[in-house]
Parts: sequence; structure tokens; C-alpha cells
Amino acid sequence: MPSPAEEDWRYVAVPGSLSNLQIPRSPGADPTRSTYESLLGETTGRADIVDGHVSGVAGSNIAQLAESDVSWYEPAAPVDRFAAAASAFGGSGVVVSADAGEIVSQPLFVSIEAATPGVVSIPRLLVVGAEASAVDVVVEQRSPDGFESLVLPDVEVVAGRAARVSVTVVQNWGDQTTAVGRHRLRADGGASVGFAEAGLGARFSRLHLTVDLVGRGADARISGTYFGDADQTLDYRYFMNHLGPNTTSEMFLKGAVAGAARSVFTGLIRVDPDGQGTNAHQTNRNLVLSDSAEAHSVPNLEILANDVRCGHGSAVGPLDEEQRYYLMSRGLPAPRADRLQVLGFFEESLQRFPNQKLEPMLRAAAMAKYDRVAS
Amino acid sequence: MSTSALTITDLTVRLGDLQILRGVDLEVPFGEVHALMGPNGSGKSTLCHALMGKPGYEAAGSARVDGAELLGLPVDERARLGLFEGFQYPVEVPGVALRELLDEMAAVGGSEISDRGAASAARLDMERFLDRPVNAGLSGGEKKRSEMLQLGALAPRVAILDEIDSGLDIDAVRDVAEAVEGMRGPDLGVLVITHYSRILRYLTVDRVHVMVAGRIVASGSSELAEDLEASGYDALVGEHDAGSEAVVSESFLDGL
Ligand SMILES: Nc1ncnc2c1ncn2[C@@H]1O[C@H](COP(=O)(O)OP(=O)(O)OP(=O)(O)O)[C@@H](O)[C@H]1O
Ligand SMILES: [Mg+2]
Repeated sequence: MPSPAEEDWRYVAVPGSLSNLQIPRSPGADPTRSTYESLLGETTGRADIVDGHVSGVAGSNIAQLAESDVSWYEPAAPVDRFAAAASAFGGSGVVVSADAGEIVSQPLFVSIEAATPGVVSIPRLLVVGAEASAVDVVVEQRSPDGFESLVLPDVEVVAGRAARVSVTVVQNWGDQTTAVGRHRLRADGGASVGFAEAGLGARFSRLHLTVDLVGRGADARISGTYFGDADQTLDYRYFMNHLGPNTTSEMFLKGAVAGAARSVFTGLIRVDPDGQGTNAHQTNRNLVLSDSAEAHSVPNLEILANDVRCGHGSAVGPLDEEQRYYLMSRGLPAPRADRLQVLGFFEESLQRFPNQKLEPMLRAAAMAKYDRVAS
Repeated sequence: MSTSALTITDLTVRLGDLQILRGVDLEVPFGEVHALMGPNGSGKSTLCHALMGKPGYEAAGSARVDGAELLGLPVDERARLGLFEGFQYPVEVPGVALRELLDEMAAVGGSEISDRGAASAARLDMERFLDRPVNAGLSGGEKKRSEMLQLGALAPRVAILDEIDSGLDIDAVRDVAEAVEGMRGPDLGVLVITHYSRILRYLTVDRVHVMVAGRIVASGSSELAEDLEASGYDALVGEHDAGSEAVVSESFLDGL
């Protein structure tokens, strides 16, 4: 039997070696311009994190992690060498916060970059919505193509009673970047947490997400869209813990793989004995666009309460022939019919992203990848 | 002599090892509306798919739209030659709004498609469906109306409507029939596949054809549909199984 730690890494292998990489003392470059920030229109605040160092914070509701009072915040115990590195070497980051009852009307934007070859960076983001507050954060992660780097993004989201907190991550790492992210979301009674990730870049990206629905009636909406090509590996390990009564969740991830790319989705809905009245659903659908690409989808349920409604759907397969035929019968040549089908495939998950202003650009980014592999 | 909208000559269709159509001859002149009836499994939908060029359907013989041969062409080219199939089971295309599909159709076939699509949506009271995904989550009747909307947008030369009236309530059957009637014109030939003569109450058909076991075994005026409704296909099927369908066809018609 593999140990739990081995099981955790069963489907994927991390490229490169950690030992050659350095942790930089300061950002290796100035922040670059983001393509996504302008889509958001007005923002409440913004921050730049470069090579794991905060190089700028502006606006309200956002501050450097080092300067804010987060004494109550205890990082979870490390579960593997990446988490151990993250907790040992700290890294700096930012805190986004909303006070009790505060509705932050515009989103906050956090740009996370790895700018220097051969470095390890550990950017941190903490989002705290106090009771009955509302706040939305958009994160863009990027690095140049062509050089190796390792990034261990650490995101913690805490939604107090009846708060609404959402985070959207645009994962746009360069083609030699390895990213191992560890994200934790926690929702108290009546709170709603939203999380979405668009997995576009990186050579290897793993996202380990844990959602704890702690209070009665807490809700989580988790969505994702990913597209791997060339030799990319995109690996998602999502854990949805229904700890409180009448908690609800939806996970909805759709991804495509082309070239020699591989994707893994491992999703677990776990309902605690106290999670009576849970309503949980997870969906993961994968399009396999080439013979050498692979997608694995492993949905799991672990239910320790008796009054629950849980469901999961998972699919891995090529483009649908019936849709192709139907669309062609309306006069669309096969390449156009397939493109429309792919667009629709992603649209279903992009529509669930908490910040809809990103949708046109994310759709365009996914379709640009499709157009490259389809031609 | 001018060409017909649809001319099918000795069409045979196999699906794998299964011979489904065994020599179909059928002609729909421009300006006419014909009905095709026949028992379940007789091959009506197979005829639609084979004409449209669905992969896996091996067709031999000839099928022409306005004189142009369809067989051997890819599906989209058949559509652009002017063939429209209204699906018995319209396919769901999740995440693609009907409006986006109409835009794509217009990008390929010309901007008139957008204009006609908009007009068609208004006429069919379907505007609220334009922003919903194609067929996904639609009721059976709504799907059929979406097919009619796309038919109106494409303005083909030949429309084959496979059970466009199945699953519709009485008012919707009338609406669909009136929509088809409204499209009748010198540039269009229509073949309506139906199990029920009720649609023929609102739709004047020029001819009714009956398919049994992969062949057209009878053709006649619209009364043929009513007679079938009264007597069922049994008589035809029985005689057909005896193996002399040519005679059956004539003797059946003699009895009308
Ligand atoms: N994909 C398939 N695989 C195997 N057999 C098929 C397939 N499609 C059709 N058939 C068979 O071919 C025959 C004709 O089917 P078809 O769908 O054309 O009938 P139909 O006349 O349209 O019937 P209905 O009135 O029920 O719609 C049937 O016996 C059917 O079982
Ligand atoms: Mg049929």
C-alpha cells in the first residue's frame, strides 16, 4: 500500500530539482503590466508580488502581510516538502480584508510574478471577510517563458458569518515554471466562498485546495477551466469538507488536454457526521484533443452523515461526434463546428467564475490555445 | 423539364452490417410539401441522416438537391447546397447560445442568415431562447421550435423535417404547420416526416409517401394519411413482407 503521501503524488512527477533553486532576498525585476487588470475597470486596491516579495500595494482594503495584525492566523501543518519549504522560508505577501458589514464594491487585483530565472518564490495571499462583508479578489500569476522557476503560492481565504468572499486565479505561468499551490478556504455560518482558477500556463502546476464549510448553511462555489498542451501537467486536488449542517457546495471544472499534456483532477467531497443536510455536487469533464494527451478524473465521496444529497459526474473523452454532425448540418465546416463545440465546452465553466469581467479574455486565451493545437 | 427540389433515385443505405434503406425513389418538386409516413424503424430518420451525410451511413444511388448530387459530399457542403435536416432528436450543444450558432451560420453562409434568424425568432416567439444554449435544457417542443427557427434562418432549398410535430401540444402543432405553410414557395421543397395526420389538418400536403422496411411502398394524395390513421400500417407491412412490394404499392392505392 502506498503511504498517503505517496498516494498524494501518484499521478504526477515534478520536473527538475529543488536543490538548484535559490530563494531571492528581493524582487529581481520591476512588475510588468498585467493584461487582465484593465478588464476589471475600477479596482478598490491592488498589489504586486514579484519573486515572492511585495513590491507595491495601493488602495484600500489591502496591506502587506508583515504589517497587518494576523496573529490569529496559523498556517496549516506542512504535508509535503513544498508545504514545508513554504512554511520554513515564509515568503511575503498581502492581506485583503473587509470589515464587518463592509461591502467592497470593486474587486482587488493581486499580481504575482516570478521574474528571475532559477528562483523559488513563496507568494502569500490572505483574504479575510469579516461578518456580513463582501469582497472579490482577482489574482494573476505569470512568469516569462523559457526559464525555470518554482513558485509555491499560498492562499488562505476566511469568510466570517454571512460573508461573501470570492477569489479568481488566472494561472498564466511561463512554460518552464513549476507551481505547487496550496489554497485553503473556510466559511463560517451562512457564509459563501467562491473560488475559480483558469489553468493556462506552467510546465507543471499542482493546486491543492481545501475548503472547510464550518458553520451552518455555509456555501462554496468552486469552478475551474484548464487547457494543457505541449508537455504541460495540470494537477488539481480538491477537498470539500462539509463540517457543519445544511452546508452546500458545487465544484465544476472543465479542462482540455492536447499535445502530450496531462491533467489530473482528484476531488473529494467529505461529509462530516455533523454535516447533516449537506447538498454537494462535483463535476469534472475533460476533452482529450490528441492521442498522446491524457486526462485523469478521480471523483470521490466520503459520507459520514445520513441525511445528505451528494452527486458527482466525471467524463474524459474526445470531441462529441453528434455535436459535430449537428453543427455541420447547419453549414459549418468541421473545423468551425469543432471550435464552436470547444467554445461551448469552456463556456459552461467560465460562466461560473465569480468575476464575469474576466470571461471574454479567459475565453479568448483558452481558444487561442485551441487554435494553436487545431491548426 | 426543370429540376425538382429533391430527387432521390434508387438510394440504398447501410449502417455497418445493417441494410436499412433498400432502394428509395422519391421526388419533391419545388413549391410542394410532401409527407413521409411509416412505422417505427422503417428507415425514415435513416433517410434524413443519409441525405445529410452523417458519418457511418454508407449510401449508394443518387440524391440531388436542385440537380446537384449530394452523395459523397461532406455534411456542411450538403447544407450549403441547400439541404436542411430538422432533427427528430435535436442535439444539445452546451455552452453555445443559439445566437452564437446563428452568428456562425451567418459567418459561413452570409449576413442574410442573421436577418432571417431574427425575423424567424420573432415570428416563432423564440427571442428569449436566443441567449440560451442550443437545445440544452429545452423541452421537446422548444427544441422543435428552435429547429424551425434555424430552418427560417437558413432558407434552404430542401427541408426535411423529421417528426417536427412529435411531442408538441395542439397549439404548437398548428404553429409549426403554419410556419411550414408560410415558407412554401417556388424555391423550396419540403418533406415532413410524421406519425400523425393531425399536422396535415393545418398543412396542405401535395403528396404522402409511406415507407416500410426501407422502401417507399405507397404514394398518394393527403387522403392516404387519413386512411393510414384509420387502418394502421399492418395491411401494408403484411403484404410487404410477402415480398411483392411493387404490386402492393399499386393494389394499396387501388383500394383508396
Ligand atoms: N445507430 C444504429 N445502430 C443500429 N441500428 C440502427 C441505428 N440507427 C438506426 N438503426 C436501425 O435502423 C432501422 C431504421 O431506423 P430509423 O431511425 O431510420 O427509423 P424511423 O423510421 O425513423 O423510426 P421512428 O418512427 O421510430 O423514428 C431501425 O431498425 C433501427 O433500429
Ligand atoms: Mg425516426
